[in-house]
Amino acid sequence: MSYLSKKMARSIFIAVCISPALLLFILFMVVPTFEVFRMSLYRWGGLSSTQQFVGLDNFQILWNDMQFIQSFQNTILLIVLVAIVTMFFSLVFAAILTREKLIGGNFFRVIFYIPNILSIVVIAGIFSAIYNPENGLLNSIFGIFNLENWQQLWLGNQDIVIYSVAGALVWQAIGYYMVMYMSSMAGIPASYYEAAALEGAGKIKQFTAITLPLIWNNIRTTMAFYIISTINLSFLLVMAMTGGGPNGSTEVFLSYMYDQAYSNSTYGYGMAIGVVVFTFSFLLAAIVSQITKRDVLEY
Amino acid sequence: MKLRYLLFAGLIILLTAGLVACGGAEESGSTAQDDSSADETSGDEEVTLHLAALESAYDDEMWENIIENYEAANENVAIELTSEKNLEEVIRPQMQAGDYPDVFLLATDREEALTETLIKEDGLENISDVLDMTVPGEDVAVKDKMLEGFSDTLATNPYGDGEMYMAPMFYSPSGMFYNAGLLEEKGWEVPTTWDEMWELGDESVEEELSLFTYPIAEYFDTFLGSMFYASGGPDFFNSVMTYEEGIWETAEAERVLQTVEQLADYTHPNTVANANPNDFTRNQQLILDNEALFMPNGTWVVEEMADAPRADDFEWGMTSVPAFEDGQGDRYAFTFFEQMWIPEQAENKEAAKEFIAYMYSDEAADIFLEAGAVQPIEGMTDKLEGQKQEFYSIYEEDVLPAMGTFASTEPVPGANMGDALYGSVDSVVNGNMSVQEWQADIQEVSDKLRPQMK
Repeated sequence: MSYLSKKMARSIFIAVCISPALLLFILFMVVPTFEVFRMSLYRWGGLSSTQQFVGLDNFQILWNDMQFIQSFQNTILLIVLVAIVTMFFSLVFAAILTREKLIGGNFFRVIFYIPNILSIVVIAGIFSAIYNPENGLLNSIFGIFNLENWQQLWLGNQDIVIYSVAGALVWQAIGYYMVMYMSSMAGIPASYYEAAALEGAGKIKQFTAITLPLIWNNIRTTMAFYIISTINLSFLLVMAMTGGGPNGSTEVFLSYMYDQAYSNSTYGYGMAIGVVVFTFSFLLAAIVSQITKRDVLEY
Repeated sequence: MKLRYLLFAGLIILLTAGLVACGGAEESGSTAQDDSSADETSGDEEVTLHLAALESAYDDEMWENIIENYEAANENVAIELTSEKNLEEVIRPQMQAGDYPDVFLLATDREEALTETLIKEDGLENISDVLDMTVPGEDVAVKDKMLEGFSDTLATNPYGDGEMYMAPMFYSPSGMFYNAGLLEEKGWEVPTTWDEMWELGDESVEEELSLFTYPIAEYFDTFLGSMFYASGGPDFFNSVMTYEEGIWETAEAERVLQTVEQLADYTHPNTVANANPNDFTRNQQLILDNEALFMPNGTWVVEEMADAPRADDFEWGMTSVPAFEDGQGDRYAFTFFEQMWIPEQAENKEAAKEFIAYMYSDEAADIFLEAGAVQPIEGMTDKLEGQKQEFYSIYEEDVLPAMGTFASTEPVPGANMGDALYGSVDSVVNGNMSVQEWQADIQEVSDKLRPQMK
């Protein structure tokens, strides 16, 4: 009896402790998410008291909306590109800064991390200046090396502008992921590398055979981060840097959702896009997590 | 185990309560509407009028002076002002919660499109009777003070039914801006026809100058508007604005679109790269630096670029959009104006209408003018000085005024005339889109909107 009441008291204590957080989570996360799903079934401009139930009509229209499809393609391109490039450079820099005794290693850690603490609007401003066709850093460097053919209208050429946006996203993200990988790499015993070196393994072999497998769980986790953060940050960057242009060539999921919900007074349709974004990111994160599942190596 | 059930039950209750609360918005909205129908008149009752005004380039003290004067003359009225640069973001959540300001100063054609949303949702109060009201403190009716043509365009009568829902407020002629000093130095005449424009374009190429640039593609709203007027007259313009079937396949429409394509050949090469919310002033700077000759803009550009560096002997010049035919073609300059309106769900509609009528008083007009805002009131241009008077006198030089916007429709998902018509200009200029593709896209959107017209 005394055991049960002790267990009961413990349960009540836990319930009391978690209930404020649970309440906030439900009110500000769960309920709004359900509300987005509900609103996606309505035709509503966003302000009036008249909401017309249209079932799945909004989703049917999405299916044939070429602008939405373009924003979908752009988002996927950004996710894949940003994930691959950021992961590659973050891992390389993390490995160098962890394994090699560089002069000023701490300085580089700080420098790499700085972009992550900058506001995305500041980053948009910095990269707009870098991409300035007349006196921007990028075209100026090509000019110095007599590579005028490489000079571009980085924010004006529809064929490359999405890559210009990706460049800014990668620059912003590298430091954050580098720090995450460094913390995992720091936990790998040095003796593993010493043993591998004695066996004749070079730096690259050590990286692929020891480092990568041992931090694989960390890499898996960051993959979900790449998907979610690219969807969120690309919206802010696009709004500040290109406004979705030229002619929708940098439109992404969330900028198109915003455009439809507010500028086009089709709030319900915007929420339908929100549902697709939610489902897409959830599914993609789950699929990537499943595909990259490996046995956990312990050390 | 019991605790788990308890938590689960609590979760379900909370979710249900949340959804019921959200679902109830519909009912609460209609309650607010019912309440508003029992609208009080200003009479002698104490009224607190909530004014929401976009904070724009004009002096911040302007509204404070207006409010001070109005409250002094109307002891029973107190005015609460919300003035923000991001007015829509501040006000929209309040409105979604049923708390509507009584009167707005907010133009159409803004990215957040709050005004358009209310138009589409029949959320504006009919204020036609304001035109017949006597201006407070004067013995003249509003309609007799207002400049002709301002109260019967699609920008004030969005449903084209002869009823006014938005009062025209601060207006600004827009046209082609250029460096008058440079043209004088080179001995070049300001082109009045497109043929003259192309000739000047060829000459400017020899001088390594570009004929044309534009801040962002959205600035083509007034530029193309003037071209539609010039190409087919007011009836053609109205047909375009009301999505008339096949209108984009007419010769008048085709020559407008083809002119933009030809203009692309003379457009500064960096224009599209700078034509975004962050960098559009770089395109405006091209005019100040004598790198490009003309750009579409409004009179606000002078203030906007006041602190920007400029070429020696720089002097702002403004002209209309060129005519299509030599000698007999009309030239137009579009008149952009901001609107004042009352939400249908406002609490104090009558008091708000009286306040709008006061906006056309000499007292209010002088306060606005001091801050740089010009109203469409008879005789106002005589009070202007220097370059501003020159710009506002554009209509006295064989140039006709153009006004209006697209007719209101029910919201159509994925179909936006602004995106199709103006947004594609960047693609036409950088050669990614042909005129035929542009024409087809516009026609498709126009066809989608026509049946949804109110």
